[in-house]
Amino acid sequence: MAEEENEFEEFEQIDFLRDRHVRFFQRTLQVLPERYASLETTRLTIVFFALSGLDVLDALEVIDRNVMIEYIYSLQVLPTEDQSNLSRCGFRGSSHIGIPYSTKGPGVLHPYDSGHVAMTYTGLCSLLILGDDLSRVNKQACLAGLRALQLEDGSFYAVPEGSENDIRFIYCAASICYMLDNWSGMDIQKAIEYIRGSLSYDSGFGQGAGRESHGGWTYCAIASLCLMGRLEEALSQRELDRIRRWCIMRQQSGFHGRPNKPVDTCYSFWVGATLELLDVFQYTNFEKNRSFILSTQDRLVGGFAKWPDSHPDPLHAYLGLCGLSLIGEPNLKKVHPGLNITQRAFQHLQQLQQTWRDNTDTCGRQH
Amino acid sequence: MHGRVKIKTTAQQEEEKRKEREKKLKIYVAARDACFSKRNEGIWDDEALQLTQQLLSSNPDFATLWNYRREILMHLETVKDKDEVQKIYEAELSFTESCLKVNPKSYGSWHHRGWVSARLPRPDWARELTLCDRCLSLDDRNFHCWDYRRMVVKMSGVPVDQELAFTDRLIGSNFSNYSSWHYRSTLLPLLHPESPEPPSPCREPPQSSPPPSPQTHSHRVCEEQLLKEYELVQNAFFTDPNDQSAWFYYRWLLGRAEREEMISCVYVNRDEERVAVAFSRPVNAQSVGLFLVLDGQPQRVEWRSVHPRFKQSPVWICNLPPGTISDITNERNLTVHWTEKHTHRDCALYTGRTESWCRDSATDQELFRSELSVEKTSVLQSELQSVKQLQELEPLNKLDSMRSAYYSDLCSKFMIENTILKMEYAEVRVFSISDKNLTTLCHLDQLLLVTHINLSSNHLQRLPPQFAMLQCLEVLEADNNAIENLEGVYHLPKLEEVLLKNNKISTLADLQTLASCPKLKRLDLRGNPVTQTANVESELAELLPSVTDLLL
Repeated sequence: MAEEENEFEEFEQIDFLRDRHVRFFQRTLQVLPERYASLETTRLTIVFFALSGLDVLDALEVIDRNVMIEYIYSLQVLPTEDQSNLSRCGFRGSSHIGIPYSTKGPGVLHPYDSGHVAMTYTGLCSLLILGDDLSRVNKQACLAGLRALQLEDGSFYAVPEGSENDIRFIYCAASICYMLDNWSGMDIQKAIEYIRGSLSYDSGFGQGAGRESHGGWTYCAIASLCLMGRLEEALSQRELDRIRRWCIMRQQSGFHGRPNKPVDTCYSFWVGATLELLDVFQYTNFEKNRSFILSTQDRLVGGFAKWPDSHPDPLHAYLGLCGLSLIGEPNLKKVHPGLNITQRAFQHLQQLQQTWRDNTDTCGRQH
Repeated sequence: MHGRVKIKTTAQQEEEKRKEREKKLKIYVAARDACFSKRNEGIWDDEALQLTQQLLSSNPDFATLWNYRREILMHLETVKDKDEVQKIYEAELSFTESCLKVNPKSYGSWHHRGWVSARLPRPDWARELTLCDRCLSLDDRNFHCWDYRRMVVKMSGVPVDQELAFTDRLIGSNFSNYSSWHYRSTLLPLLHPESPEPPSPCREPPQSSPPPSPQTHSHRVCEEQLLKEYELVQNAFFTDPNDQSAWFYYRWLLGRAEREEMISCVYVNRDEERVAVAFSRPVNAQSVGLFLVLDGQPQRVEWRSVHPRFKQSPVWICNLPPGTISDITNERNLTVHWTEKHTHRDCALYTGRTESWCRDSATDQELFRSELSVEKTSVLQSELQSVKQLQELEPLNKLDSMRSAYYSDLCSKFMIENTILKMEYAEVRVFSISDKNLTTLCHLDQLLLVTHINLSSNHLQRLPPQFAMLQCLEVLEADNNAIENLEGVYHLPKLEEVLLKNNKISTLADLQTLASCPKLKRLDLRGNPVTQTANVESELAELLPSVTDLLL
């Protein structure tokens, strides 16, 4: 009798609990627990994890798209009447500064309100996922805000008043330019130099020159170069092969981000997607990867945690799904490894971009 | 979102927690609003410092508040005297330390501490290093702390060997300390006498451009240090052969004994008025300042890589304007300048000679087998012993197909290296590896001058684009392989004979590239599936008009 129960449990262990994950993301979009307080300023990224997670689960019908779209537009930092704040435009992380709710311009001048490069990136992704046509995005303002963030060495700040600067924000910038189909937002050559300078002795990428290689920064480097269309120009075949080696050695069961660190669910995406972009993901062990990701699945609350027997959170829940999607888990939508949105959302973007190009051709005006 | 373990709580505990949270929220919102109204009014006083301190203690990632705090501090610098400023900044350091105790991975806290340290009238770098030591003893993989340490070392001019000794201690106590190995990789090149300036002791603004990484700068390391490192790494991977740290570091170390970057060969030919240049590593000739000078006159030429697939290549070609060197009665002197690396190579084209070259052979460059001192040889010998012993401990009898393919490729690589060295020793331009289970081709950049190549009776599946580096090739023998792809037989101007009996060429499209070889006369395709294509003879006559001797 006891043996039968155990077998049944074992079967459940590897079962993918779709409905729990859907509910997990729904709750994420409502009220967050207290321990997330420090993430208030980056709330839009959490919204992105939930929306993209629901998209991967093909469950976007559980939310009210229009409400979400309005909410996201309310986070846009728009130009003021006199356009004096253009270098501060983009999307903000949440309403924590206290700007009154508004989804249309002109912008309100507040000396300490500005866009944040990661929020602009996730804001645009979220709008695409929701099927919005980006017509209310002030693209020129976003690009002006982006230009104001790039430093001489090619890296980016997150906000115009300054912050740390490193390769993460280059990735955000490249994604923004890619989505807006306009590379005037950044100096590509300088960004490439910074990326190359971040290549470490072991052929992983650090956050910047001389810094330790890490799966997350390696994703930022490779994905940026792919979005720019400059991968093979910036890196020789020999370097690419060494990078492949470093990345592939990140698999233990699941993946870790750095040698001798424990495996962590999110790296199934960060490193997995990098390997996919480098055309060698098929040489990894799918079964072990899947087993690890599912061992971090929370069977009660849904979502995934970074390790087994830990609390799930939106980031790991989303990236766990993406990791499963990369290995072809049934009933999960395919994810575009460079932009980190579903292929479906990516196709929507491509159609939009075609419309913009057609419009520019016919009326000779930039959209 | 930093991995919290689950603990069960009772309903009552939950309720108490909820009440506590509500209270905290009220205080938080009040403080925040007070803070912003002060900032709005441009008030930079002690109360403001208090308020921001309160808020940052619970949320160190509220970047706006750190910015406000920096504004306050900068304002105070202008109104207080030096001693007071010193006190204020020291208090600031205490504050960031308490923030870091709560969250040692907060970008905001580390960034602020770095900013404060740079502005302190009398900085105490020793204390900063101690902070790093403490932090690293709790988590030796905290990259925020390592990055901070690097900044402190740079600003304070801590000697490199002191930091190297620091990594000695860490690695000595735990070989698995990847961050320490990494740090070591950045320090080691700085010890070489030819290296650029050591970390400057003078203050540099925190946001100055980062130094080029050791990977791209390819610093060399002197032999004495190298031998010490080999021994250290050997101990590490012997202690735990499954630990990646030592292996990655070791791989990098082996590369440190590499030769300097240079132009390894310049080849000139009057017939096609063609110049081929081989580099010690792949480059993008269009962006490294490559110039051609003929008899003292700079020539305007267009460099192209041997195959359109490669933007980075070790071999580049150009054509001189027609008539420049075609007259065989004239001696010409050619120089190729690699301005980016301040190096050049000369090549004299003598009267009566159709072609000429100047090169450092693979032997001269010690490409495959380093000229080693006695000490180095013995360390490497003992290493070979260690590797053999490790192999015996963990036999490789259950190899999956991918791994055995990898080892076959490795064997092929060693054979090709040996053949190149033998060819150079014999001073001939014929390269022959036949019936040796070759599965892959490599070092093709060393075969620029080869006129005859024999690869028959092996297991090759393709002649990859890199094969186009064989710019002098006249005869290609590759019978009895499994070749289905001829991408690399591309624009080989002297190629006359191609023997591909018993391979796997299956369609006419596979033979398309051969059309780019203008002198091709003889082609043997017997025993290939393509010979069964309808009208194969007439199709080939059209595709390859220069071929007069076709064997099907």
